[in-house]
Amino acid sequence: MKNRLRKGALLSALALVVAVPAAVPAAAAAKATITMSGSTSVAPLAALLARKYLSVCRHCVNFKLLQGGSDIGVADVAAGRVTIGNSSRDPKPSDPGGLVFNKIAHDAICLITNRANPVPGIDQAGVKAVFGGSVRSWSGVPGSTQSGTIDLFVRTPASGTQDAFQKIFMGTTKIFSGAGQKASNGLIEQAVQSDPNGMGYVSLFFTRNVNVIPYQGVPCTLRNAKSGQYTGVRNFYMVTRGPAAGAAKRWINWITHTKAASKIIATQWVPLS
Amino acid sequence: MSNHGSHNAKPKDRTDQRAEVALGALASAVLLLIAFMIVFVFSKAWPSFAHNGLAWFGGGGNVDEQLSNIFNSPANPADYVYTMHAWPLLYATALITGVSLLLATTISLLSAMFIVEFAPDAMRRVLQPVVRLLAAVPSVIYGLIGVLVLVPFVGNQVITAGQKESVQYVIQLDGTSILVGILVLTVMITPIMVAIVTDALRAVPRSWTEGAAALGVNRWRALRTVGLRAARPAIVAAAVLATARALGEAIMLSMVSGSVAFAPNPLDGVTFFVEPARTLAATVVDNAEGLSVKPFGQTIYAFAAILLISSFFLSFAGWVARQSMRKYTLQAR
Repeated sequence: MKNRLRKGALLSALALVVAVPAAVPAAAAAKATITMSGSTSVAPLAALLARKYLSVCRHCVNFKLLQGGSDIGVADVAAGRVTIGNSSRDPKPSDPGGLVFNKIAHDAICLITNRANPVPGIDQAGVKAVFGGSVRSWSGVPGSTQSGTIDLFVRTPASGTQDAFQKIFMGTTKIFSGAGQKASNGLIEQAVQSDPNGMGYVSLFFTRNVNVIPYQGVPCTLRNAKSGQYTGVRNFYMVTRGPAAGAAKRWINWITHTKAASKIIATQWVPLS
Repeated sequence: MSNHGSHNAKPKDRTDQRAEVALGALASAVLLLIAFMIVFVFSKAWPSFAHNGLAWFGGGGNVDEQLSNIFNSPANPADYVYTMHAWPLLYATALITGVSLLLATTISLLSAMFIVEFAPDAMRRVLQPVVRLLAAVPSVIYGLIGVLVLVPFVGNQVITAGQKESVQYVIQLDGTSILVGILVLTVMITPIMVAIVTDALRAVPRSWTEGAAALGVNRWRALRTVGLRAARPAIVAAAVLATARALGEAIMLSMVSGSVAFAPNPLDGVTFFVEPARTLAATVVDNAEGLSVKPFGQTIYAFAAILLISSFFLSFAGWVARQSMRKYTLQAR
């Protein structure tokens, strides 16, 4: 369902690129063009927002939306190839200088176990011990109804979700190298769903058939993520070279300050306020 | 009449000429495309090989950690990380492909012999279309059955808590395993081999086996000593085709054989079979998300280059094998 939505969003993004310049060729010369590249996680949201923005601010701007991954977005904007680089990860020390990361939304990451094993809660030390591989048995996890070895399911190294999990939950602790790696959120959910000893982490959307573990005493829900009580939340950024200016500034302000924008974000993500 | 005939023949010749040129161009285009593909893949892959040298093919360290480090390379091209010791992936590819091929060859030879020589007509009429149908089933369907049925079954019923505990600090046994990978891959490639070998056995001249029968051997022995021997080039061709499909199988193996770059250890005894492993093709598919990070993309292309090379060697080895068998076979007549 989410994938379909995202595909729809991507298609409409492509359509935007093609249709918008064609529709108003006369006005195009006077109009500013905002080009974006980067995170594939942010892209669907950016496309939905851009479509709405065009309907409220008719003929005031052109959009071009490309993808490629957070690192591409950051590299592109640093080199001046695009106006905005989309990023689903936080700034890295190795990023080029002079970049401004404009936060536009949040996305919650939930810890999950099998329905047969409703772990009542876990804190960061617990997550580090389990995913780091120092606690390998469910008997070492307080409140677990299972016994035996813990089956961990994580994402592949290239995944942005993996990057966010490492930073938010694990800090500097390395993830257990024997953990099963899955290529998507859906595969992690499926693996945990069919394995009573399983544990993994997924985006909030993929939690319908599994048990969601409260993290540091706070259940992983959209509401708690919105209120800021749930801390397992990653950020979506629009990165600019130097502070945003002109059309890009108005566009980012519109995303962060209008009700219309936060309504779109709230359908699948967490608005800033 | 003859005049009419020659009048008719002239445009026909021109049609032939046009066809010849068109088909020739198409064939050259295919060759060019292949050449371009090879150059492209290798030029993309080169930095990964160049930075590691022969150590690329060796073991040492954890492949997943190496991939992760490559992915998190600093932005400056001079600081790109390339360290990769791909042995566990190569080993997993050879192990899963090799064992599946052995199983598939045995099963397909026996069942083809049965279909050609022993099966009752009614049974044969059912068996042959079913085998062809199975050969055409898309691999992702096998993958789905594997991940939804076989993997949970192996994980929850076959693997014991003791086995899991015995290796729990090294590797996780969750059902995704070389056992399931080999089983599903064997089921996938066997029908192709059965279909080809059946045709080949049927093409053996009746007089040859009848000659054997006239000398007093039974049907089983005639088939084994005359039929199978004559069909050997076709059997090699079938094996090459099946191996090619097995080598390139990515989605299904990524789903069922475990996505950990782990080298299963035969010294673990029975546990060996339920340990996970990840083939080259599955690694490429799993990590396609990171292709845009330059050194990471180049490493992925290096995996692709190895697959490309192995399929060339495979075709070449098949050709050599067929050449050396020619004297026993139909072509030798």
